[in-house]
Amino acid sequence: MNKKAREKEFRRVMTRRSLLLGGMQLGIASFLGLRLYQLQVAQNSQYRRLSDRNQFDVKIVAPQRGRVFDRKMRLLAGNAESYQLRVTPLHAKDLPQVLDDLSTIIELKPREREEVIAAAVKNPSFRPIVVRGNLTQRELARLAVRSAYLPGVTFEKVLRRIYPQGALTGHVTGYVSPLTSRELELNPALQQLPDLATGKIGIENALESRLRGKPGSERVEVNARGRPIRVLRDFEPSAGQDVRLALDIGVQLEAAEVLRRGRSQTVNLSLPEAQGAIAGNAELKSHIAAGDNLVLRDPKGNITPAESGAVVVMDVRSGEIVSLVSAPMYDPNIFTEKLLTRDWRRLNDHPRTPLLNRVTTGMYAPGSTFKMVVALAALEAGIINERTSFFCKGDMELGNATFHCWQKLGHGTVNVLRALEQSCDVFFYEVALKTGIQRIKNMALRLGFGAETGIDIPGEKTGIIPSHDWKLATHGVAWTPGETVVASIGQGYVLATPIQLALMTARIANGQFAVEPSLLARSKTPEFAPLDIPESALRIVRQGMKMVTHSGRGTARNYNLGVEFGGMAGKTGTVQVKRITKEQREAGIVKNIDRPWKERDHALFVGYTPVTDPRYAISVVVEHGGSGSSMAAPIARKILEKILRSDRGLV
Amino acid sequence: MITGQPITLWRRFLRFPWHLLLLSLALVTVGSLALYSASEGSWSPWAGRHAVRGGVGVVLVFILAFIDLRLLRKWSYFILLAAVGMLFVLMVVDSGRFVSRWITIGGFTFQPSEPAKIAVIMALARYFDEQPPERMQSLLVYLPPLVLITVPFLLIIKQPDLGTALALLLGSLSVLFAAGMPWRYIFTAIVLGLGSLPVLWMQLHAYQKERVMTFLHPGADALGAGYQITQSKIALGSGGLFGKGFLMGSQSQLNYLPEKQTDFVFTMIGEEFGLVGNLFILSVYLLLIGSILAISLRVGSRFAQLTCVGIAMMLFLYVFVNVAMVTGLLPVVGAPLPLISYGGTAMLTVFVGLGIVVSAVVHDRSEN
Repeated sequence: MNKKAREKEFRRVMTRRSLLLGGMQLGIASFLGLRLYQLQVAQNSQYRRLSDRNQFDVKIVAPQRGRVFDRKMRLLAGNAESYQLRVTPLHAKDLPQVLDDLSTIIELKPREREEVIAAAVKNPSFRPIVVRGNLTQRELARLAVRSAYLPGVTFEKVLRRIYPQGALTGHVTGYVSPLTSRELELNPALQQLPDLATGKIGIENALESRLRGKPGSERVEVNARGRPIRVLRDFEPSAGQDVRLALDIGVQLEAAEVLRRGRSQTVNLSLPEAQGAIAGNAELKSHIAAGDNLVLRDPKGNITPAESGAVVVMDVRSGEIVSLVSAPMYDPNIFTEKLLTRDWRRLNDHPRTPLLNRVTTGMYAPGSTFKMVVALAALEAGIINERTSFFCKGDMELGNATFHCWQKLGHGTVNVLRALEQSCDVFFYEVALKTGIQRIKNMALRLGFGAETGIDIPGEKTGIIPSHDWKLATHGVAWTPGETVVASIGQGYVLATPIQLALMTARIANGQFAVEPSLLARSKTPEFAPLDIPESALRIVRQGMKMVTHSGRGTARNYNLGVEFGGMAGKTGTVQVKRITKEQREAGIVKNIDRPWKERDHALFVGYTPVTDPRYAISVVVEHGGSGSSMAAPIARKILEKILRSDRGLV
Repeated sequence: MITGQPITLWRRFLRFPWHLLLLSLALVTVGSLALYSASEGSWSPWAGRHAVRGGVGVVLVFILAFIDLRLLRKWSYFILLAAVGMLFVLMVVDSGRFVSRWITIGGFTFQPSEPAKIAVIMALARYFDEQPPERMQSLLVYLPPLVLITVPFLLIIKQPDLGTALALLLGSLSVLFAAGMPWRYIFTAIVLGLGSLPVLWMQLHAYQKERVMTFLHPGADALGAGYQITQSKIALGSGGLFGKGFLMGSQSQLNYLPEKQTDFVFTMIGEEFGLVGNLFILSVYLLLIGSILAISLRVGSRFAQLTCVGIAMMLFLYVFVNVAMVTGLLPVVGAPLPLISYGGTAMLTVFVGLGIVVSAVVHDRSEN
């Protein structure tokens, strides 16, 4: 009985507890129902938006960049198909694991791995990270089979910029490289095109808007593993324009070769002697490291690196640039994708600054090549004429100072023609003092000095053409006659770039128009502004320049072009880099080749060909190359001969 | 009390709780349709096999219905011992890299932790069935059940399968609760349980801790478990009241939704059938659970009563953990939605549970 009552009580408790459990479960279930209501009804519109965004990935499609050709349609800058391996952190989920798996398929250096992880932290997770650009066929084949199992791993066919001519046209084409953070800041719209490479320098930069083209857009339906399911093109991208340059690769090759070889002989790198020299010479080592394999034996038998300097060849009628060489050169291909620190350091630490475009940013004292400017200024002003003569005894006194002629013994009585021919300094000292710096400056500006020439390479330097005002403004003191004397032979404050020297020569040769330089091939010669220099004055100067190479006393008499090519006119320049003291002068000037390279004179030459009805103008600067006569003039002659030969279909 | 009266097969058939079978088959059907959609409108690889398994489950229920519940009662300790043994073997034979929750016997894999849940419930039911009512107030009575629960619980947590371990714990405790454990012990147990949380935390694997942390700070891990919850909420939320339509769930169809055939099947149904679809499924579950609880009140034997309560609780926990997980109320612990999610073991367990309940009804001798 007692037991039965207890059983009953037991059952009562259990029933109560079961109902309690049931009630609790019902309550919790209702709570879940409310949660579902909250998600599915109350917040429906918010999640619907998110869902739509999930489904389509609107992508901006990069346009194909325009190609760059030389004047004979040989490729200077093009696009090569390349495959990029990418990983999207959003889809990869466990990024380190995916990278581990990837490294079993392709070699993945710890550095590369860290970079990917760092990028994943920095960027939004939906943005793909390039693990490896420019996959090899072998890697591609391996990945094609196995990457399908790796979440978030995709390849993309991209167009990689290539420069088939490499270093030869590096300073002309410049290069494209990935967007910088500064570019993104200036133009946030570029965020949409994280893979875009933009022109940073050279033609690539100058013609960026023309080459880039217009991006298109597409919507890519992707799944949560990042695999595209369907692609809807909304706007087709339109490719950038191709451009044809006036440059002639054949001439460029010759110009680079001739300039860089100078008067020396090429040394076979495999010779033990060469290897020994490289091992013991830091400068040679940096040349080799930067990819320059040209090693020379100079006339004294020393092993030296290739010459540095600049060559510009310009069509005197159209202003088209047929060749533009700045040495040392660099290969623009290394910049198109991720620049390796190693490559960057090699270029940056190179003692002769290969990244510097000497043609447009190298400022040199023009030396005697500036004498045409002085002559033209004096002739135009009527201060001298063809017959005006001065006596050169080897130097000229002005106040307490003595200004020497390069020819210690003096040139005797010389007129403007003889003075140009033999590069008599004293004649120009006298003429400059009578003409005054302001007139010289006016003439220099008309010939293209002291201002940007407008060539299609951004970042051009203007050089310096000094004057009274300039001296006051920059130095705060008055101009002195002695400075006019120094300026008359293109030294002192006067600075010019090789492109300006070529432009001056082209304008003198042209005589009628102030031609302007252009790297682009011109379909027709534009209407340049008139040069506005009396033809009579120009004729005299051109005659003097002709005598430089044609006359038996000309400074470049050994380097005239054959009559069959119409000859060459020009002017040599030898620019003192290190001041010569009085003691040194009395002790006898040490020959260039016996001085350390850095202390040797710059060798310059400007010229044009043919003498009558000129076609091409050239400027040559060989840094620390010695004398304009023996170093720069023969280089100019060889290059011009090459052009004329190829124009006539000769090899 | 009418006892010893033979029960004819016909009477048993009349007693058969057909509604349990109907409700569970409804859920299997829903599951098959959902899996058909999960594989972008295809019976393979999931939907067809799911339906077949459902059929096997029904056969299993019928087989169990013929087994007298008293037989199960008799064997319940042994069954628990066998289940714990399997868990132990699994722990020792750790197959290296993969998380071992499965045992493979002749190509057939299953998770011993699932049957262990039912084994613990039946063992506890038998234990309390044997206790004289007057002893129920004594604390000593509750010590053996503590061991019965703790051993499999720890083995499962080591696997590591936090979700199943907690479901086992709560399911077992519901048996203790229904058996009439005094409130003072219940409150003491709650306090002790909360106190031991830090110890439990230390026992967790790194990834389990991470999941809990993710749950507490969902934004911190947008690529891992946080991604799953976010995508799940997007899919559910974008479904709205009536859903996007069968096979039209873009999130699920576009594979944004992870594990859509197993743990996140409820989300997919929610995207395609909306709140209405989800509430319908919840109602079916509640009806099923409610029916089992109703049976527990009706049957005569104390063993049957407690077993039914435990199985009802087990079923409820499955549903609750899964739904709470996919709606972002609980961390992602890896819990299937019974009878709907693809996966043999959970379904098998539920059908075994249902079979036991059916057996309890069919073999009930109380006859009022």
